[in-house]
Amino acid sequence: MRKYIVRRLLLMIPVILGVYTIVFLIIHFIPGDPIDLMLGETARPSDREFLRKELGLDKPIAYQYLTSMLRAAKGDLGRSLHTNQPVLETILKRIPATVELTIGAMIVALMISLPLGIIAALRQYSVFDNGSMFFALLGISMPNFWLGPLLIILFSIKLGWLPVSGRGGIEYLILPAITLGTALAAILTRMVRSSLLEVTKEDYITFARAKGLREFMIIVKHALSNAMIPVITILGLQFGSLLAGSIITETIFSWPGIGRLTIQAINTRDYPLVQGCVLIISLSYVLINFLTDLFYAYIDPRIRYE
Amino acid sequence: MYQKKRKIRLILLVFLFCSLLFSCSSKEAKKGSVLIVGVESNPTNLDPRLAIDIASLHVIDIVYNKLVKKDKHSNIIPDLATHWENPDDLTYIFHLKKGVKFHDGTELKAEDVKYTFDSIRDPSLKSPKRSSTAPLKEIQIIDKYTISFTLKEPYAPFLSNMIQAIVPKHIGMDKKKNLSLGPVGTGPFKLKEWVYDERLEFVSNKEHFQGKPRLDRIIYKVIPDQTVRLLELEKGSIHLIQNSVSPDMLPRLKINPKLKVIKEVGINYSYIGFNLEDRILKNKKVRQAIAHAINKQDIIDNILKGLAIPATGLLSPSHWAYESRVKEFPYNPEKAKRLLDEAGYRDPDGDGPEPRFKIMYKTSQNQIRKRIAEIIQEQLKGIGIEMVMRNYEWGTFFSDIRSGNFQMYTLTWVGITDPDIYYYIFYSSSIPPKGANRGRYSNKSLDRLIEQGRYTLDPIKRKKIYSEIQKIIAEDLPYISLWYLKNVAVMRKEIKGFKLYPGEQFYSLKDVYIK
Repeated sequence: MRKYIVRRLLLMIPVILGVYTIVFLIIHFIPGDPIDLMLGETARPSDREFLRKELGLDKPIAYQYLTSMLRAAKGDLGRSLHTNQPVLETILKRIPATVELTIGAMIVALMISLPLGIIAALRQYSVFDNGSMFFALLGISMPNFWLGPLLIILFSIKLGWLPVSGRGGIEYLILPAITLGTALAAILTRMVRSSLLEVTKEDYITFARAKGLREFMIIVKHALSNAMIPVITILGLQFGSLLAGSIITETIFSWPGIGRLTIQAINTRDYPLVQGCVLIISLSYVLINFLTDLFYAYIDPRIRYE
Repeated sequence: MYQKKRKIRLILLVFLFCSLLFSCSSKEAKKGSVLIVGVESNPTNLDPRLAIDIASLHVIDIVYNKLVKKDKHSNIIPDLATHWENPDDLTYIFHLKKGVKFHDGTELKAEDVKYTFDSIRDPSLKSPKRSSTAPLKEIQIIDKYTISFTLKEPYAPFLSNMIQAIVPKHIGMDKKKNLSLGPVGTGPFKLKEWVYDERLEFVSNKEHFQGKPRLDRIIYKVIPDQTVRLLELEKGSIHLIQNSVSPDMLPRLKINPKLKVIKEVGINYSYIGFNLEDRILKNKKVRQAIAHAINKQDIIDNILKGLAIPATGLLSPSHWAYESRVKEFPYNPEKAKRLLDEAGYRDPDGDGPEPRFKIMYKTSQNQIRKRIAEIIQEQLKGIGIEMVMRNYEWGTFFSDIRSGNFQMYTLTWVGITDPDIYYYIFYSSSIPPKGANRGRYSNKSLDRLIEQGRYTLDPIKRKKIYSEIQKIIAEDLPYISLWYLKNVAVMRKEIKGFKLYPGEQFYSLKDVYIK
C-alpha cells in the first residue's frame, strides 16, 4: 500500500509539470500583451520597456519558463502583474469560496440523486423511474447560464426567499449550489440507478431476501454499499472538475471563487496568476483522483493496492 | 397503515427541512442612509497614480479630490485648487484650498501636490500616467498652499493633465502603507472595508471641505453578470447601476414602477477604423462609399434602442471645441455604389452573388458589437461588398489592432477631455506603440494644425484650429464616426440627487440621498 501511495505521488510530478508547461506556452503565445493591458494605450514606449524589464518579460521565453518553474518548485508562484500581490496568497483567499460551492453542489447532487436513483432502480419502469430519468435528461441538458438566472427569478424575485447573488450565510449558497449541482445530480441519478439494478440481480441479494430481511435493510446495507463504487469514481472526478469548472456559476452568482479569478487573469494576461491558478486547480484535481482511488480500498475490501 | 403513516411523516419532515432552508430569505438593502451600487468588476488598484480601470476610477471618484476637474462641457474647473494663474506661457501657479483634510486628519498642503506629481514622474512607481507629466520641467512649492509648475515649452493641454487625485505625501512615503489597497484621500467618503471581488464599503467623511455627504455609507457590490445586476436592482438589494445596461433590457426596466431610468449623451465615441495602408481602403472613395452604405440611425433605433446619437467626429456636441459644420455621409446606398464604380470596383455580376471585393471587419466579443457588425455586414452586402466578420477575445483583438493587423475594426474612445487627442490618434508619427494612429493615417497639413493646437494657449484661436482639424478628418475619413453613446443610470425610485457625468464619474454620489 505504501509503495503504491509513493508511486502515485511520484507520478503526479510529470502530470503537474506537463500542465504547467502547456499552460505556460499557451498563455505566452496567444496574442495580447500584458503591458498594453496594464499601462493602457497612452503610455510612452520608454515606460513600456521599463515595465517589461521590471517584470522580467524582456527575457527569453525559455529563461522565463525555467525561472518561474524553479520558483514554483520552492512554493513561490510570483506576484500578480496587475495587483502586485503574491499569487499564492491571492489564490488561497479564493479557495474557501470555491470549496464551499463545490461541497454545496455535491450535497445537492447527492440529496437529489440518491433517493431518485434508488427509487428508480427499485421501481423499474414505473412512473417514478420514468420521472427520475426525465429529470436526469433535463438536468444534463440545462446549461448553467440559463438555470442560474431562472432560479434567481423564481426564488429571489418572485418568491423573495433567497438573495440574488453574493456570498454570505447558507442562504447565499443554496441557489449557486443547486445550479452547479443539478447536472451532477442528473449524472449520478442514472449512475445510482444502473449500478443498483446490476447489484440487486446478484445472488447475495436474492439470498438476503430469502433470509427474510427487510427490503430497506437489503438495499441500504447490502446493495447500496456495492453499488456506490462506480458512483464514487464519478463523484471524485466531478469534484475536481467542479473546483475548476464553476466559472459560469461563479460569475452569475457573483461568487468570489477561483474560476472567476482564472478568467480575470486570462483576460488581463496576468501570466503568473494564470499559471498559479491552473497549477493549483490541476494539483487539486490530481490529488482528489488519488484520494478517490484510496477510498476504493476502504469501501471495497476486495480492492488491494500493491 | 403503519407504512402510510411513516410516509406521511417523511414527507412532512422533508417539507419542514425545505421550508427551513428557504425561510432564510435575504435581507433587502436597508433604507435610510446606505446606498448600494452594483458595479461590474472588482477594482484592480486604488492608488490614483496607478489606476486606469473604470472600477478603480469609480472608487477614486468618491475617495479623492483632484487638483482640478472638468465640468460637463470638458472645461477645466477648480477642485482642490481655488484658482490658478498663468503669468507666462510656461508657468502655472495653483492656489490650494485651505483647511482641506485627508481622511487621517492631516491637512492637504502644497507638498502633497508636489509629491503626487513627482512620484508619477518617477519611473520606479511604474505609473501609466507618467507620459502626461512629460511636458513638465519642474515643480516648485511657493508656500504651504501655493505651488508652481514650469513647462519645457508651451503646452495647451497641460491643465487637463492636472486632473489628478492628490495623495498624502506622508502615506505615500511610508513603506508600510499601501495606497493601492488602502486609499487615503480628501474625498467625501472613506474606504472602510474591501472584501476582494465581493464588495467595497465606504463611510461618509464628516470633515469633507464641501460639507458632510448626505449618505452615511455607500457599498459597491461587485456583480459581474449584467442580467443578475438588473435582477438585484429589481429585487431592491441594490439601489443603483450606471451603464453596462443591455439596451434590450431597457423597456422592461422602464415599466417597473419601483425604478427610474435617466439618460444623457456622454463623450464615449464609437467609430469604425480603416487601415489606410490597405490596398483597397487607401482609396478615399471606397471609404466614403462604406460610410454612405451604413445606416447609423437604423442601428441606433433597433440595436441600441435609442441609447446613442449619431456622431460627426471625436468631440461630442457638449465639448467646448465641437464643430458641427463638417462633411457628413448620410445613408445613401445608390451614391455608395456610384462611388465604388468611380473607384474602379465595379460589381462583376450586377445584383448577382459575386462581390466587388472582400473585406475583413474585426471586433471584440461584446454581444452588441457582434450584432452591430452583422447589420453592417448586411448593409455592405447591399452595395456589393462582402464583409467577413471576425470577433476576438479582448487581448487578442487589441493586440491585432495595435500591430496594424486589420482592414476595418470597430472600437470606442472613452473619456476624451482635451482636443489634443488628435495628436495621439491622427498625427503621422503617432503610430503604435508611440500613439494610437493605428490606421497609419498621414496628412502633413493636418500635422501642422495639430502642432499649432498643442502650442496655442488662446482658447478662441485654439477652437478655430480644432474646427479646421475636425473638418479635415471628416473629409479624409480615416474613421467613420458612428455614434456618441448615452450614459444610462437605473435606480430605485427613492434615490434622489444622482446626476450623470459625461465621463461616467460618480462625483454626484456625495449629493445623493434616499427619500
